[in-house]
Amino acid sequence: MYLSRQLRLLPRANIACSLSSSGAHYTTAAPAEDAPIEIPNRIERSPTDLLQALASTVARDYTAPHYKYHDDPFLIPMSNAAKRTYAMSKESGRKAAKWIKEEHRELFMHQEAQPAIEKFAPSMVYTEDSVVDETSLAQLISQGELKDAVLVYNLLEQKGNPISPELKQSLLELVCFHNNQEPIPEEYIEERWFLQNNKRRERSGKTWKDGDLAEKLYSEIEPKTPQSYASLIRGMAKYLQCERAYALLQEAGEKQVQLDTNTFNSVIEIVSFLKDTAEQRWQLCKDLLNEMSQQKLRPNLGTLNAVLQCISTFGNFKVARAAALQALPEFKQLGVNPSLGSYYYLLIIFCRERGPVSHVIVDILNDISGKEFQIQHPKDTYFFATAMDVCRNHLHDKSLAKKVDELLHTGKNYDLVGDSFKESIYYRNYLALLCQTESTEDFMLSYDLLVPNIYIPEPGIMEEILRAIEINGAVEYVPRLWSDMVVFDHTHRESLLLYVLRILVDNKPNPDSPAQAQLPEQGAKVALDMFERVEEAIKRLRKVSFTGQMLGDILTLLVRGGSYEKATEVFAHIDKNQHRIPGTPSLNALIEFVDASVQEKSPSQALFALQYAVENNFDSRELAKRIHEGFTLNETHLSKLKSLVGESFLDK
Amino acid sequence: MNFLKKLLPQVATEVQQLSRSGFHTSSVCCRVQSGRYRITTKRNRPLTYEMANPPHFIGHRKSWNSWNTSTMKDALRPSQTAIEDVFIRKFVTGTWHALVCSEVIIKRQHNTIRIAALIRQAITPRKMYFLIGYTEELLSYWMQCPVTLELQTVGDKKDVVFKYI
Repeated sequence: MYLSRQLRLLPRANIACSLSSSGAHYTTAAPAEDAPIEIPNRIERSPTDLLQALASTVARDYTAPHYKYHDDPFLIPMSNAAKRTYAMSKESGRKAAKWIKEEHRELFMHQEAQPAIEKFAPSMVYTEDSVVDETSLAQLISQGELKDAVLVYNLLEQKGNPISPELKQSLLELVCFHNNQEPIPEEYIEERWFLQNNKRRERSGKTWKDGDLAEKLYSEIEPKTPQSYASLIRGMAKYLQCERAYALLQEAGEKQVQLDTNTFNSVIEIVSFLKDTAEQRWQLCKDLLNEMSQQKLRPNLGTLNAVLQCISTFGNFKVARAAALQALPEFKQLGVNPSLGSYYYLLIIFCRERGPVSHVIVDILNDISGKEFQIQHPKDTYFFATAMDVCRNHLHDKSLAKKVDELLHTGKNYDLVGDSFKESIYYRNYLALLCQTESTEDFMLSYDLLVPNIYIPEPGIMEEILRAIEINGAVEYVPRLWSDMVVFDHTHRESLLLYVLRILVDNKPNPDSPAQAQLPEQGAKVALDMFERVEEAIKRLRKVSFTGQMLGDILTLLVRGGSYEKATEVFAHIDKNQHRIPGTPSLNALIEFVDASVQEKSPSQALFALQYAVENNFDSRELAKRIHEGFTLNETHLSKLKSLVGESFLDK
Repeated sequence: MNFLKKLLPQVATEVQQLSRSGFHTSSVCCRVQSGRYRITTKRNRPLTYEMANPPHFIGHRKSWNSWNTSTMKDALRPSQTAIEDVFIRKFVTGTWHALVCSEVIIKRQHNTIRIAALIRQAITPRKMYFLIGYTEELLSYWMQCPVTLELQTVGDKKDVVFKYI
């Protein structure tokens, strides 16, 4: 009985959790003895239930890279670009293998697996001469092979074979769904994951192919069925042939054709393309909903999301909010439960950049925290990125962000994070918010958790982090962040380099604090590393180059870190290339260098610095004074000093 | 059987009785060559750890190169498995040309095949990922089951050299 109870828990609950929570059943020997044993009914399980139960006991390992990457130091990606390239290269290898399989099909005809697995065998090739009939067309349609299905259909047409209206209808549906364009095959998940936001660009314009196969098929189906209307309207709406989709809907209405809910949903989604002002859009939306109720169609989640999408396009904040508040209770009455996509629309309706501050996300989170979601609507994947954006830019609230993050890590909700683009937006906002609101120690905990395996900060976020660290006066983290920046390949951003140096120079390490005791040496190491990297980059003609200020800061850091030798080398570089380097080091950098020369008893270096200062029109009196007081100069040095700053200086 | 004699006297007597019955008279021919490497005159042939240990150390100092259950009692497809393993080895060493610097270890569990090897870091990680994807996919088309590569990389070919003979 114990076992069966556990098994019932299997698919949902975490095994470890259920074992510990019901551990009392087998450790203590005191169950009620006279309670009758009740054998529960058998529960049907799918073949993968056990695997899923086992998988649910394992959470994401933050210390390891994603499992799609090979677990070897050489093969672990260390920057965003590498993550993308490696995953895509692997997939490209898989594509190459598939090409080989199709190209040398005669080698792959054997059948090892029982029952045979279709995906391992080369796919059927249809040519102009293939012998085809209706069944092959039906099979291709059920497999979703668009190109082959269209080819076979054309062959059947040429040979004059009759095609049943049902088959034509299902082909019409297939063609309308894909707009007669081959989609990305489902097995290439990385390509989908890394697909840059092409959708948004598509969104703006019509992509529907006018007068193409879909419309030809539609015209061939006589008499027109509600399904044929529905598929053509939905296809046109999906690919933004808005005017004709709406016209077709009206035509169907005039002919008293009974359409279905999803067709109306697709037209409500494109209301914003049909009308221009908010009032007109809302009117049309309401008209469509009324038409649905006249046809006794029950609205579903798609209707709710379509209405909210329509509302979210209203420019006027007040109208939008009023409309949303009007629509929501009605759908609630109808028993339509909102999905994450609906909440996404609510967020973009209520939390606008220019609108007043709205705390709608608090209510939403109270409503859904701790719940596990499954994908129900295409827009469901937009929720988390938008919610985090609202937390950062609209409300600036750390605790809310933590709540959103908790929700994301509840159950399988992480599946709804979308694609790599949305995931990086999510973490970008999350880290930026944390670094602004948390103390540096707390922030570094989250940073260590997320970076680099889950998320690698972009240069902009790195700058935010550096700024937060400077504000909190935690300069001791800068050398660490510098080494991260080297790994993440941020070293060709001039602004970042300058900022790192600026922080290290401006915040003199506090020798009393133990955390900063090592900082001067570390700072010198950072400076030297940067110097060498930029030199290397210049040789390779990369974008970055030295500026006078950068070199001055490097000089200062080296002097402070006690690497005088290296400092002289850097100064020699400054001196030699002064016509190539834009700008000059600050006077303070030169003063510190001269002071160090005094300590190191090297008057010639100090005089070089003075010479440089004079040549570049600095106010050199301060430098000359320091040199004069610091050294007991011999004749040659003294005469050089005189020639640089003039006799009058010494007489004072 | 000398070690048996030392261990157990009573066994030794039985062995003597057996040998007295004399059902084996020809001299023993133990010369085996496979898996053993000849010493070169210049002593410059590099051996990996596995090559340095002759086959009788399998299970003691080194392990098997193919892990499967096809040779157990009533097990399925022993010959096919052996041939497939040869094919996999040839395919992997050929696809990863001049990069594989160890034995190719093939482990079969349920319906999956896991292939392990040491690879030289002579090409960029990007190219390696391409080859990983290609090898996994093509072998799984051939074997008609999921194939996983479990590679480790080494910086230099000399890193795997155990000794020179």
